[in-house]
Amino acid sequence: MYTAWTLKHKPRTLKDVIGNKQAIQTLIEWVKAWNKAAPKKKAAFLYGPPGIGKTVTVEALAHDLDMELVEKNASDYRTEDAVKRFAGIASQYATLFGKKRLILFDELDGITGTQDRGGVKALTEIIKTTRCPIVLIANNAYDPRFTNLRRYCMLIQFKKPPVSEVVKLLKKICLREGIAAEEAALRFIAQRSGGDVRSAINDLQALAQGKTRLTYDDVSWLAYRDRQENIFTVLKMIFYARSCTSAKQAVDMAEVDPDMLFEWIYENAPQHLTHPQDLARAMDALSIADVYRGRIRKTGNWKFMRYFLDFMTAGVAMARQKSRPSGWTPFRFPKRIQELSRTKGKRRLELAIGTKIKRRFHMSAYRASKEVLPYIKIIFENNVEMAAGIARWLDLDKEMIEYIVSDEKAKAILEHMETL
Amino acid sequence: MSFEMWAEKYRPKTLDEIVNQREIVERLKSFVKAKNVPHCIFAGPPGTGKTTAALCLARDLYGDAYREHLMELNASDERGIDVVRETVKTFARVRSIGEVPFKILILDEADNMTADAQQALRRTMERYTETCRFILIANYSGKIIEPIQSRCAPFRFTYLPKAEHDAFLRRIAENESVTLLDDGLEAIFDVCSGDMRKAINTLQAAASLGKPITAEIVYSVVGRAHPADVQKMVLTALNGDFTGAREKLREMIQKYGVAGTDIIRQIHTEIFRLSIPEPWKIRLADTVGEIDFRLVQGSNEEVQLSAMLARLVEAGYEMKQTEKG
Repeated sequence: MYTAWTLKHKPRTLKDVIGNKQAIQTLIEWVKAWNKAAPKKKAAFLYGPPGIGKTVTVEALAHDLDMELVEKNASDYRTEDAVKRFAGIASQYATLFGKKRLILFDELDGITGTQDRGGVKALTEIIKTTRCPIVLIANNAYDPRFTNLRRYCMLIQFKKPPVSEVVKLLKKICLREGIAAEEAALRFIAQRSGGDVRSAINDLQALAQGKTRLTYDDVSWLAYRDRQENIFTVLKMIFYARSCTSAKQAVDMAEVDPDMLFEWIYENAPQHLTHPQDLARAMDALSIADVYRGRIRKTGNWKFMRYFLDFMTAGVAMARQKSRPSGWTPFRFPKRIQELSRTKGKRRLELAIGTKIKRRFHMSAYRASKEVLPYIKIIFENNVEMAAGIARWLDLDKEMIEYIVSDEKAKAILEHMETL
Repeated sequence: MSFEMWAEKYRPKTLDEIVNQREIVERLKSFVKAKNVPHCIFAGPPGTGKTTAALCLARDLYGDAYREHLMELNASDERGIDVVRETVKTFARVRSIGEVPFKILILDEADNMTADAQQALRRTMERYTETCRFILIANYSGKIIEPIQSRCAPFRFTYLPKAEHDAFLRRIAENESVTLLDDGLEAIFDVCSGDMRKAINTLQAAASLGKPITAEIVYSVVGRAHPADVQKMVLTALNGDFTGAREKLREMIQKYGVAGTDIIRQIHTEIFRLSIPEPWKIRLADTVGEIDFRLVQGSNEEVQLSAMLARLVEAGYEMKQTEKG
């Protein structure tokens, strides 16, 4: 079964978190201070590059101090209204069961665009009045959007842990997974990840899972195939996940955006869900995912994003009921995308012709290029006189005419246009 | 033969010239008489005269200088709320001089606007009601938000009945000195099912060959305009080759630019022609219907149609199992 090692080997307690000792100590003291009275700064703002353990620290802290952690991602609080919904939670110091609360707003960078400015503002309001500690996490705390918000926060910087610490961690994971790994191999992975621990662990999993030994040679070629290796791991996770959760985790691991990930899944599903009934279920899931994507587009409401992700990952994973694992099947780059970039010039020209047609035809340029252009093509191939008349009437230029018909015909049409 | 596109040349210029959609035309004429027009929604399938009716209404209302009082926007081209709002504002804000105290704005393909853009449009419509009347044109009125619908007089356009379709094409053929044979005319109606723009384009493309127009010529023209070998694709899928069928689909969409709705309509026709057990046909028709619906809702035609193909592969497999069983 495919579980991300980043989750399987996630530190449960603070003493297992690597690096940032000073920052973590500051955070602990600040949270503990709440036991006496609310401190002046009611939010802690952790910032630093991705994958170095900011979220993990907060989770481990809640565990160690036996607090209830309320965790929110950017997708939960993009808009003002969405943020306001959490105001109630923040107004109570403890839960019904006497556990103290810790509220975490993760991925603050994910709030984008003008529409969401209200979200940052509403968040600031909640911080002003909160009765329990709030932690904010972002890559860049000095983003202008957070200028006002920062005044109410204690800023805590998280830095990349030293390579030696990352190597130590990778060693520990290998030990637990029963893999004998060369130090040089682990050092290579750690160095290459540039301090991003999460990506180092993902790399290790991609390279070492299922093996008993890991040598330097096994990893050195990796530098060239970075991104692809990542997407392959992610796709495997999705196509062979046994639980919805593990399939959904793949999205976080992927280095491509969800739309591109969707294309990869859509392209490769038939090779991995080989049983017709499984494939029908998988394609149905992708079709539903696409409907949610349509809803995001039409309503402008990003809350539908989570359903889009559900269906393209868990939906596809759960489609597998009868297919056998297809052994080693290479993953293919999404052909649809390849084609689209290949035909870009063609589409540009078609749209330009469509725009010419539109001026005469009272319809959109896009529809004109789809619905009228095919007939114009036939006329141009068969009837020079009529073609010349139409070309003049639509005001088509040489490039357009040459696009519509073969060079020889185009020449005849252009010549005839001169005589008109 | 004249050398422009006939679909434009023979577009009716005044309401009197519109031979079909009689009830609609009568109501529009009463607007002209009263010199007052409410906001309107013209809904109906393509090629049924929605834009024509709007243009004719404007011409009858304002006379030959109607262009000065009329603006045509296309929601698909003029993308984004802001563009529409700004253009509309600038146009709508200034009062028309003359007998009719308002302008007319035709917003084509209005059902392609996002809900947000429609909300913004609604406010603009309200603010400038005094100086500007809107005619929204859409294929599906259901995709226009409720608050706009309730402010507009609805008009539902339908495909032309065969008799009117035939009369119209015959008139064009005669005018252009083209020989249109009966079976050619039948064939045009068969493939265009009353979509007049498509029908006239087909007629002109067929005429460009310079021969009497027969059914054979019509089908070959349509085949070249839309080389959607849907039958082959369906059979490939039923035989279990999903990837092969998807390649064919991709070619139709990307290379030939066939619209998703056209493909699904042809799949629907094809299903009932297949030699498969009868109960399977209606089962598959259910899937076709569902996918047709999702095409409207979703964002990517190829993905939606691929789901249809996968279902066909599955159906082919299940039929074989039953045979064996």
